[in-house]
Amino acid sequence: MADETTATEPARTPEARGENAPPCVDATAVSRATRLELLRLCLLQRAIEDRTMNLYRQGRISGSYYTGRGQEAVGAAAGLALGPDDVVAPLNRELACHLARGVEVAHVFRIFLGRETGPTRGRDGNMHFGVPECGIFPLVSMLGDLCPVTVGAALAFKRRNEARVALTFWGDGGMCTGDVHEGLNLAGVLHVPAVFVIQNNHYAYSTPTEREMVNTDIASRITGGWSIPCERVDGTDALATYACVSAAVERARADEGPQAVEAVSLRIHGHAAHDDARYVPAELRADYEARDPILRLTERLRLDGVDEDTLQDLTEGVTNAVAEGLAEAESAPDPDPATLEDGVYAMPVQGAERT
Amino acid sequence: MSTVTYLDAIRVALADAMRDDERVFMLGEDIGHFGGPFGVTKGLSDEFGTDRVIDTPISEEGFVGAALGAAWMGERPIVELQFADFISTCFDPIVTVAAKTHWRSGIRFPVVIRAPFGGGVRGGPFHASCPEGWFVGTAGLKVVAAGTVEDAYGLLRSAVEDDDPVIYFEHKGLYRRLKGEQPAATTRTPIGRAAIAQSGTDATVVTYGAGVDLALRASGTLNDSIEIVNLRTLWPLDEPAILKSIEKTSRVLVLQEAARSIGAAGHVLSLVARHAFEVLDAPPALHAPVDTPVPFAPELEDAYLPSVDSTAAALRDLLEY
Repeated sequence: MADETTATEPARTPEARGENAPPCVDATAVSRATRLELLRLCLLQRAIEDRTMNLYRQGRISGSYYTGRGQEAVGAAAGLALGPDDVVAPLNRELACHLARGVEVAHVFRIFLGRETGPTRGRDGNMHFGVPECGIFPLVSMLGDLCPVTVGAALAFKRRNEARVALTFWGDGGMCTGDVHEGLNLAGVLHVPAVFVIQNNHYAYSTPTEREMVNTDIASRITGGWSIPCERVDGTDALATYACVSAAVERARADEGPQAVEAVSLRIHGHAAHDDARYVPAELRADYEARDPILRLTERLRLDGVDEDTLQDLTEGVTNAVAEGLAEAESAPDPDPATLEDGVYAMPVQGAERT
Repeated sequence: MSTVTYLDAIRVALADAMRDDERVFMLGEDIGHFGGPFGVTKGLSDEFGTDRVIDTPISEEGFVGAALGAAWMGERPIVELQFADFISTCFDPIVTVAAKTHWRSGIRFPVVIRAPFGGGVRGGPFHASCPEGWFVGTAGLKVVAAGTVEDAYGLLRSAVEDDDPVIYFEHKGLYRRLKGEQPAATTRTPIGRAAIAQSGTDATVVTYGAGVDLALRASGTLNDSIEIVNLRTLWPLDEPAILKSIEKTSRVLVLQEAARSIGAAGHVLSLVARHAFEVLDAPPALHAPVDTPVPFAPELEDAYLPSVDSTAAALRDLLEY
């Protein structure tokens, strides 16, 4: 089985080690500890997603499966940019944002596996979950819906004079929805501490951005159209993205009104597990694969003087966390069909029997 | 006690709810200094300020979604739609976000959506609809409709204090026509409980909203003893109350202002077919408009809507079967 050994053994070429990837910018305000934590979060998202994609292909995950490969840095950066009392409504490319907020690896696997003790008790799967105790609102698949919800959370903070921020994500596809327009407009009129991170990953499912909108300059449209400051950042650069989102979060916290960031990347995988993304031109994919956010951040850390043992320890820690988290989730109980109607209402109507 | 209109009772309920709980605030179009298209919120922004009676852009999807986000953070928002017809523009946050989130995450949404519904005001297809049927049967939502001055107040107070999303249908035709004593500030109409608006033994009318007053007036033209069940909560239905009345009278007419194939009637009739079959002396009857949008011209709208005469005729048919 020599072929199998070759396939699972990490290649040792400079390319595979990321040594030809352009390093992240040296954003001096970002501490070494934060840089290492960003790398850990990106590695953890990728390792969880790689493992889960294998589980899906083995038939051990129901439904479908969505990854954020190539976009890990954006969720990680936004998750770390928020304070502990802030809240966030992630979409399905932002697993690292959940992890940054303290969601445990086992909890992530419990939702994918549909377990009773997972975040939705088996009522929903995929990335369709929130963790209220971590300040995370559950994803809603109807794109754009989370924008007004986030504006409302920020409105609550403003009403109570709390120095808290609400953040959400959508993509170039979600940018075309009516909810996003209404939410952005409302955020501006109400002057609330909301931050919007637009993941411009070039494709809405299979449709390229230039077929979704005539003016593809999302940052200038948000700045000029809704009067919400919006900076464009390279979403494959974890440090630049962290610095950009952190500044936006702190401006919102300082009562400067809603803020936005357009983070540009490429969704390396298809929309979901069934989609091989053959509609992405080879040159575009090659360009972004060479600018893999994990390789870029790793290269930055090497230039910072972080030694290979430290990087290796980080990778091994992530590998172990994924193995342990999956084992713990697999031992969790399946949901009990007898509980199916539990929780439809917070205050069930007593005595009105359903027949 | 002073005499108030149905509309006054709603306004007083809003004011009392905001006075009792600072988490309660309002979002809607032209609800501030203007007082809303029907004057329901007149004067409220003077007492509570524009931070609690918030004028919004024309963005139902935006401000219903925002109400849910604020509720997530522990506030108790009340949203006003100018006309219930416009609820189609915020269908998505209601049926996907409001209805499904608690079940899958445990997050509570104590949000009230006020929806002025109903015809008789020559509003036509976009300003006189009864769209409650789009929500009756949707798990996670509670749907209520006030048919009396007391319920206008009591249902609204209960809705604001409820931890689930409640759509509160208030009937435009009753706003200034229906009068009664100002309900006490302690009045609460329990959600999920129907009421007997009139006790009787010969036949049951199951109805809600403007149908309650209509049924009372129609039964007054007959010599028979008619029981009127005022649903008050359209979803979840108070099934035991409906069945109990039919067990007593053995005849049932479902009366609604929504077109015959939507509204709450189908759910009531389904319940009757499954659980009251053996006690019935006549086929269950339905009196409701034909399946068209609400027409504008007086001749057409008058023909479309159930009237005292047409309701009395439907009851006579039922009693004579």
